[in-house]
Amino acid sequence: MSDYDAIVIGSGAGGGVAAAVLAEAGKSVLLLERGAALSFEDVGRDHLRNQRLSHYGHNAGPDIEGNPRSSDDGRVIRPHERGYQNNAACLGSGTRVYAGQAWRFMPQDFRMASIYGIPAGSSLADWPIGYEDVLPYYQKVEREIGICGDHSAMTHLPPYDQPYPMPALKLPYKSSVHRQGLKTLGWQWLRTPRLINSIPYNDRPACIHCQHCVGFACPVDAKNGSQNTAIPRALRSGNCALQTEVMVSKLALSPKGRIAGVQLVDAAGQPAVKRADVVVLSCGAVETARLLLNSATPQEPKGIGNGNGQVGRHLQGHYYPGAVGLFPQVMYDGLGPGASVATCEFNHDNDGIIGGGMLTDEDIVLPMTFWKRDYPPDTPRWGLKAKQFMRENFRRINDVKGPVQEIPHPDARVTINPKLKDRYGIPGAHLSGKTHRETVRTAAFMHHRAKEWLLASGAAKVWGQPPPQYLSGGQHQAGTCRMGEDPASSVVNPWCRVHSHDNLFIADGSVHVTNGGFNPVETIMALAWRTAEHIVKTW
Amino acid sequence: MLDEQQLNTLKALVNAIIPADDWPSGWQAGVGDYLLRQFKRDLADAAAAYAQWLTALNAEAQASCQRPFAELSLAERTRLLESIEQGQVKTAWPMDAAAFFQQIVEHCSEGFYSDPGNGGNKNGVAWDMIGFEVRG
Repeated sequence: MSDYDAIVIGSGAGGGVAAAVLAEAGKSVLLLERGAALSFEDVGRDHLRNQRLSHYGHNAGPDIEGNPRSSDDGRVIRPHERGYQNNAACLGSGTRVYAGQAWRFMPQDFRMASIYGIPAGSSLADWPIGYEDVLPYYQKVEREIGICGDHSAMTHLPPYDQPYPMPALKLPYKSSVHRQGLKTLGWQWLRTPRLINSIPYNDRPACIHCQHCVGFACPVDAKNGSQNTAIPRALRSGNCALQTEVMVSKLALSPKGRIAGVQLVDAAGQPAVKRADVVVLSCGAVETARLLLNSATPQEPKGIGNGNGQVGRHLQGHYYPGAVGLFPQVMYDGLGPGASVATCEFNHDNDGIIGGGMLTDEDIVLPMTFWKRDYPPDTPRWGLKAKQFMRENFRRINDVKGPVQEIPHPDARVTINPKLKDRYGIPGAHLSGKTHRETVRTAAFMHHRAKEWLLASGAAKVWGQPPPQYLSGGQHQAGTCRMGEDPASSVVNPWCRVHSHDNLFIADGSVHVTNGGFNPVETIMALAWRTAEHIVKTW
Repeated sequence: MLDEQQLNTLKALVNAIIPADDWPSGWQAGVGDYLLRQFKRDLADAAAAYAQWLTALNAEAQASCQRPFAELSLAERTRLLESIEQGQVKTAWPMDAAAFFQQIVEHCSEGFYSDPGNGGNKNGVAWDMIGFEVRG
């Protein structure tokens, strides 16, 4: 006897949409989140402890203590430290504190292996579905979750059937400078689309262009995340129960090895079992893999869905190459969120390069982040000269950057470290490997394009370095339960159902075969919508 | 945590890293408050090293200028710190003097440029100076 029709684990981009679609279709849903529901004040505006600069901690979870991961160099890593690959743990997860760049992947992004071939040592593959399969759900997300932008400028994509429901955000001054640079170069120019209200929408107000968008909560609730869109819809249906601050330790299985629900631990440390006919995992690429691997049974001793050793492999995120420039004029007018113009000139069709990436100007960089990250390397960092440099140039310095489509490597992976226990005694994730060297090559290529753009926009001086080879994941983490027709080389089928189970689905970035050269949230939401609708239709 | 001499040395150091000009010095802007608070929190593990480093800085000042660091002019303090930064020291240091100085510069900048909620940047004075306005 089940307690619920469906249990959705994780309330981020994928889990929120999955819960809403299932609940609105009349299914009884239990939505579980390990973090807390955070108010604007809870998230705060600490410039040293936020999702953008986590020097001494975080503002949106998970807690610094009691949530360790480990890496190949033997380090035990806390959530705010380098190499953890953190994503926020709170109601809405990363969507609570993101700046909501909302991009469709391109048709080519679903066919990377066919277009470019498979580089030696990589696990590059095509998706089993294409752009046209996701398109109806991109449109639903744009309309119903709420995206602003200018559809007519998205010339890198097939023409849109419907415009975005809201016009693009007001442009800051710097965008006119960056736009001129793109025109000079003859590169495509478009408006950065956002999951932000540019006008009042869905009963919430428009963006007030504050300076603390990325990494923080919105003061007027104009950012559209799971916590203020999909989850309220799920709750309003009357069919969804929400529990925060509960950690799922394992999937619950019947004696025959069928998914029967979840085992969880609440904030007080009390264990419980909740039964359901269907379970949807939306914990993010690291935690979804961890949960599957931690749920091993006699029937599946290597972990649920891991009969072919695919769970946890191909971990990827986004390299973010870019460059910083010093301009003769004041670029800064304080109009947030900041990133406003972009080009998809280099997402594909680059000679000798596999894939590519998008470039956009940057969201407002907080003074401390600027000092740590964007400060020119040949300028003194202390003394009167340093103070004067900050005074004269903080508003003249500006950067452009963007996500690179990573080339997956099978050994970039999540496994379980049985000796590493979290606060509940659950074994933690071990992270190993690095991205494929082709990712590094693409990133270097994009770094040089970023410099070209800044110089064409009139920068007097540019700086920055191409990134080295490392393990990528982070807030855009993906790939650890990839989608495919063949169970030998994938974890879920084209409907995001785990091959070895008829009632276990995944709705997060884990299923991405490749991760596009774009912020992945719109694709995660669209796929979750498609998966949940499929669950309802085939129930 | 720090004795009186170390505290005086720290104040003179902070005001050499972020000297006063038309705008307040680091110490005037609250960098000291930031550091003393952090010595009980995130920099608790570094507090003892800070004390050692400050004592060594004072010894270096005595060896170079025959006066305590806190009594040196800004120009003298700046020259001495530039030497330390380049690894040119006259006395025996208990640690890599230059590497630790780099960390101190970063911590002082955190106090000066971060949000006032962290104890420094009183009334957002550093933000006023660079033109970072918080609206909304």
